[in-house]
Amino acid sequence: MTDLIVSLLAAFAAWTGWRVFRVDSMVRASFSLMLSFVAVGGIGVVLSAPYIGIATIFMMAVEMMVMAIFMVMFMMNPAGLNPMVMVHQHRISIAAGLLAATGLGVAILSTPLPSNPVPAEAPVVAQLGHELLGPSMLIFETAGVTLLATMIGAVILSSRRGRFGAADEGARPPGLDPGGPPAGRRPESGGGHHHHGGHS
Amino acid sequence: MIAGLVLAVLATLAFGALLAVALDGRLAILAAQGARQRVETEAPDRLNRDLAPAWYLALAAIGLSVVPFAEGAALIDSPVGIVVWGSCEALIVVTVFLHGWSPNAPFPLIGAYRYAAIGLPVLLPSMFVLIAAALPAESLSFVAIVDSQRELWNVIRQPLGLPLFCIVALALTLRGPMDYADAADIATGTSAEESGPARVLWDIARAAMLVSVSAIAATVFLGGPLGPVLPGPVWLWLKIAGLMALFVLGGRRIARTTPSRMLSILWVILLPLSFLHLAISGVLAL
Amino acid sequence: MGMSPLARLALRAPVPVFAAIGPGRQADVERLLARRGLRRALTPRDAAVLLLAGDLPPDAMEPLGRVHDQVPRPRRILRWTDRTETGDAVADRLATAWRGLCGGEDGDDDLQPDAPSNAWRGVGPHGQGGTGMMGGTPYGRPMAMTGLDIRDGLQLDRYTARLGPFAPMLPPGLVLELTLQGDVICDAGVVCPPFAQPADADAPVLCSARMLALLGLEDAARRVIRGGRPGALWLRGAVPRGLGRIEGGGDARERLAGYLAGTPAALAVPPLPELLSGLEWAEAMLVLASLPPSSILRATRLREAA
Repeated sequence: MTDLIVSLLAAFAAWTGWRVFRVDSMVRASFSLMLSFVAVGGIGVVLSAPYIGIATIFMMAVEMMVMAIFMVMFMMNPAGLNPMVMVHQHRISIAAGLLAATGLGVAILSTPLPSNPVPAEAPVVAQLGHELLGPSMLIFETAGVTLLATMIGAVILSSRRGRFGAADEGARPPGLDPGGPPAGRRPESGGGHHHHGGHS
Repeated sequence: MIAGLVLAVLATLAFGALLAVALDGRLAILAAQGARQRVETEAPDRLNRDLAPAWYLALAAIGLSVVPFAEGAALIDSPVGIVVWGSCEALIVVTVFLHGWSPNAPFPLIGAYRYAAIGLPVLLPSMFVLIAAALPAESLSFVAIVDSQRELWNVIRQPLGLPLFCIVALALTLRGPMDYADAADIATGTSAEESGPARVLWDIARAAMLVSVSAIAATVFLGGPLGPVLPGPVWLWLKIAGLMALFVLGGRRIARTTPSRMLSILWVILLPLSFLHLAISGVLAL
Repeated sequence: MGMSPLARLALRAPVPVFAAIGPGRQADVERLLARRGLRRALTPRDAAVLLLAGDLPPDAMEPLGRVHDQVPRPRRILRWTDRTETGDAVADRLATAWRGLCGGEDGDDDLQPDAPSNAWRGVGPHGQGGTGMMGGTPYGRPMAMTGLDIRDGLQLDRYTARLGPFAPMLPPGLVLELTLQGDVICDAGVVCPPFAQPADADAPVLCSARMLALLGLEDAARRVIRGGRPGALWLRGAVPRGLGRIEGGGDARERLAGYLAGTPAALAVPPLPELLSGLEWAEAMLVLASLPPSSILRATRLREAA
């Protein structure tokens, strides 16, 4: 039974993955990819990894939604009328695809895969939690906070609006006394010279 | 046992959706809509247009089936029930987006786009609030969360939880102050190009989602099937109906601000507030 | 009568009316559609009866035909051209038309041929007439093309479309040509000014009802028009402070507070493109709704004279 469900889900994942390159719009491609990941998440659930499986579905839904937003933002086409082709550079991609498929296939077929069924009553979620927040806590927390800081930083860097005025108008230090002339010089255009403000 | 639970989920969904439509005063409107012609837009994405209401209904059914109807009896008794519901929430945003994207018309697209921008930050307080409720239960399962409320319901133990979740509920069911997908300024947004049975189906799916969201709120904050004298399912139904009435009333009586202002409110006020809520709940649960 | 229970239930529904408002009839129609038993549809797709109030200028007849043909069948168009006909009489006529449609009448046929108004110019690599995968004007509609984003300087798609003259969120008769990025208005141009309306359309009650409807408070808007209290929370607070500020006229929030208190506003409105550019769609519609129709008309006429 498990074998049957896993093979069906795997076939669905492969089919939707193939659809990603056959549909004619970025939004359709994004959500085909999402369905593919949902099927992979389903395989995780069937293979006694409920947390990882369902968290995959959750994260992929959010990620593909964000991706689709960007697609519409850069190409504001509703469903039809401006069809697009999802594949480029045919020869290189065919070669790369064949290479990757062969490599992965050989790796999978030549690896002795473990057969270690999880007992049905094992508290897998609790075990995962103890692992994540036990020995591996430092790694996961560091990675998480770093990713968050990177995302916030990227948003702030790309935004024109800021607390001290528009980002593309050049930095202008505040005056030494209220309303006075700016401390330091205005940065020269193209100059790599770092001027320390405060002694104008 | 399983057949009974399947029946309970389906019956709750059907009667609940009927009640929701009646509370909205839209029974006659839907009956009138159903008999009307369905108009096609030009070059729509037919697959997604037809699937969006079905997805929405299916997500409502999945959400309801993780809810325990009696103590310890949920159709999907998942050890990670909260994450299952979280995935439903994320997929709801996707569904509403597809509903607006598929007719190939500007107003539905703006509605879809706007809803995705509001929906994603709404998911964050939702997750914090649900995880806070999981802390005293020491489990991500809804059955355990109900069990943890034997002495004290979460609505009292974690007073910020239910108000924050109300905002999430309004957003997920496209209602009143959080209805950024089907708003009046974009001619009912994602539904602007729909008529006839398709419009009815979308409204029914919205009503079903209201049942599902209310059931989750009743389980997480009001002890679900816990209560004296009456049997568990009856208590759950009463709580669901009460919350549904609250959401319908709130949706009708609270004004909706502009999307950009709501985004600021979500990121600057509600997200830190829900984080504070999680921190307090964590300390209390220690 | 051999009606099914569902059809009998449908008969009890308020009549879904899409209003095509002509010169001088805005206030009449808004008061009419606040009655019990009538429902103002926000899109023709949601309507069954198209109410045409007033005498339309000839150049509005083609858009009227397009709106009419978007109302799903069975449908009926009702004309309310006689100024002396009371609201009660029109409400009765609407109810009769609705009973007929629910009883299985066929309704009106299309006013316009079901064919694109412009030719499909299928050239270019993907048949839409643009270069690469962008641009082009299939069926005379410009497709989105990237342009400078007015907020962060990114290259984002711009979508240009004409709106009006019967769009329910705009003043009747106003046709705007808008360039949008997402829901940010990059450019706005007035193609046709709104129809002239008598001073009654500037009544504070109607102005506040228009704003309330945009704030998602349909019921409150109807209550206000019928002379009641809005009975809703967070009314003024929901309008962002400083939105649509006009010299000597305050911002949209202050104007809403004024309307709710019963004070009419008389303003010198700057030209619409200046007022609307850079706003998000929801904000722009709120700003337009916060202005009395007469001052919007004056603002667009000023621009024409200039």
